[in-house]
Amino acid sequence: MNALAEFGRFGLFVATFARASATHPPPVRRSIEEAYRIGVLSLPILLIISAFVGTNLALQGYNAFAPLGGQRLVGMFVALAGVRELAPMMVASMVAAKAGTEMASQIAVMRIREQIDALEVMAINPHWFLITPRFIGILLVLPPLTVISIFTLTVSSYLVSTLQLGLNGAEFLAYFTDTTEPMDLVYCMIKAFFFGIIICLVSCFYGFNSKSGPNGVGEATNASVVVSAVSCALLNYLMSEILFSGRGL
Amino acid sequence: MERIAALGRFTIFSARVGWRVLTPWWEVQETARHTWLIATRCLLPVTAVVFPFGMVMALQGLEIFEIFGAQRLLSSLVSVAVFRELSPVLASVLVAAQGGSAFAAELGAMRIKEELDATEIMAIDSLRTHVVPRVLATVIATPILNLIGSIAGIGGGFFTAVCLKGETAGVYWGNIWALTHSSDVFGGLFKTTVFGVLIGLIATYQGYYATGGAAGVGKAVNDTVVISVTAFVIANYFLTSALFGAIQ
Amino acid sequence: MSDAPIIRFVDVHKSFGSLSVLKGVSFDIPRGQTTAIIGPSGTGKSVLIKHVVGLLEPDSGHIWVDDVDMAHASESQKLAVRKRFGMLFQGGALFDSLTAGENVAFPLRYHTRMSEAERRAKAEEKLALVELPGLYDRPTSALSGGQRKRVGLARAIVLEPEVVLFDEPNSGLDPMTSDTIDALIGRMKQELGMTFVVITHDIVSCLNIADRIGMLYDGKLIEYGTVDQFLHSNQAIVRDFLKRNADLPPASGPLIPPP
Repeated sequence: MNALAEFGRFGLFVATFARASATHPPPVRRSIEEAYRIGVLSLPILLIISAFVGTNLALQGYNAFAPLGGQRLVGMFVALAGVRELAPMMVASMVAAKAGTEMASQIAVMRIREQIDALEVMAINPHWFLITPRFIGILLVLPPLTVISIFTLTVSSYLVSTLQLGLNGAEFLAYFTDTTEPMDLVYCMIKAFFFGIIICLVSCFYGFNSKSGPNGVGEATNASVVVSAVSCALLNYLMSEILFSGRGL
Repeated sequence: MERIAALGRFTIFSARVGWRVLTPWWEVQETARHTWLIATRCLLPVTAVVFPFGMVMALQGLEIFEIFGAQRLLSSLVSVAVFRELSPVLASVLVAAQGGSAFAAELGAMRIKEELDATEIMAIDSLRTHVVPRVLATVIATPILNLIGSIAGIGGGFFTAVCLKGETAGVYWGNIWALTHSSDVFGGLFKTTVFGVLIGLIATYQGYYATGGAAGVGKAVNDTVVISVTAFVIANYFLTSALFGAIQ
Repeated sequence: MSDAPIIRFVDVHKSFGSLSVLKGVSFDIPRGQTTAIIGPSGTGKSVLIKHVVGLLEPDSGHIWVDDVDMAHASESQKLAVRKRFGMLFQGGALFDSLTAGENVAFPLRYHTRMSEAERRAKAEEKLALVELPGLYDRPTSALSGGQRKRVGLARAIVLEPEVVLFDEPNSGLDPMTSDTIDALIGRMKQELGMTFVVITHDIVSCLNIADRIGMLYDGKLIEYGTVDQFLHSNQAIVRDFLKRNADLPPASGPLIPPP
């Protein structure tokens, strides 16, 4: 019952935000600033995590297929599991953990210090002022982040395959390129785009509805990252089915 | 320079906490309470995230095994991947996001509201009363959640393979242990114990030294998730290499 | 300027869950005067004032701002009313990412067509008015509690509103700073001729600045009138409240703030 009410409030929040965005001019300059900030915030950690998920992907693929004599397929495994699934999800969870939590805590702090009330009293729509630039910003920045993550992950799994596991590099690349096509990159960016929508709206929602005091900010930040990660994971499967399934290799 | 200093502070903090973990007295009740809290808070998110990952694993794995005509081994691919990598990493991500950040938020709020100072002034060791139980709770809860996540992931694979793609249920269950060994399960448990230590220490460190009001608490929570995830993902590479190595 | 009251509360009720905060509040706020609402903390004074600008909506009753009922106003009506109001929040509610001056200039950016230089000049003029000249580029984190309130006040009056609402202008300040804020409010009232509504629990400050005083107690306005009427109230609770807040001036009239 409680969850249902929360979901209803979220729907109302999204509707209010959509109306505010539609009836105000787009805040171009501030959106670009937000995109830059989200990108800079998330990039270092994304690089590290992508690199180390790539390494383990190669190890895992190697160990899984070695009993079948299929070690050579590591390149294919990286393409299927890494590029299609893990990279977009990783981008989503890192942006949720870094930029999403920051949105939630910034807005929550503004809520408890009455700054959002102050915006209202100054007759400035807080949904438009606070959420719209973050929303546009995250949508601008997530697709390129996904491409960077895919690239990093592939390079690191290539390095582990050739240097640590002693596989043939040319073979790795051959299997890799056989399995992926340029459209996959586009599909991953589409995934990331939807993840961005979820992360931004969920984080801002929890920030806006923060309870007062230091506990309130912590709780809002906390809830935002878990709810957006879980929603993205569920959405990921759905979109994989729609985008990749039945397309074969 | 600032980072090196922070690393030094963190090391000292860890040593102080470690000393108190090894010597009496322990806040047994508090530890149990926090363990229960973190386990129940993370249970649903862990299940909800690992399950769809098991599903995509099966979805993509099926494509590769079709090449060998070895679809029957799918469940084993899923279980190896889930036991060794997916569940340990995902469960730990969620423990960091849900449990670790909550601990950082609680301790941060206590620091800001001067509750930690008040504890010290009453001549009570705040590390023992507030920090150690939380660290122990993460260390205990993470492997348990990993096991639950593993079951959810294998269930997710089952859902895709059997319910959606029409593989045979008996074959799926029968082959789960075809390529999987008990060492995979214990390796995963060992890894998550290490991850639990990292998350617990990083979260409590961030909260314990939070400054700057409500905004500072938000920053502590944010840093906890990011730093602990980075730390254990890097640790994961070395642990996987050491534990499972490469079968030459 | 008409003599009709600018704000009218008519039988306003408001509760949060099972907690009933306002239990039928009715009174008029006259134009061009300073009206203070006092009462012990936790009696819903802030709730009362937030109804005026539509930050909260009542469960029943009406809040008339001229001829707009804020209880049932549309979003655009609310915006129109808000543009005529300024509000000083308890903690100042300054935006941390902006400097002191940028905070003051903030409403100008969205509600006027001024150039950046004009906005800056205007903000500096208002900062001088609140006796903080030259602080335009000071980051908000480097402001003291009293300075934050002054910057908040400068921001509240930068659009030259008809009504300024003050939510606890003295809370969290030491008595000295508190007195200078009172003096500032008194001086601004003389210079700007605006309507001021002040929420406070500080009876001394109340007598310093107000033309009319109302006391909110247990969800009701138990006393409302001119300062003299208030000081001679025969309500036990009012007398009690006056006594506890010690150091009362002689019942003849309010303290005149030093020029």
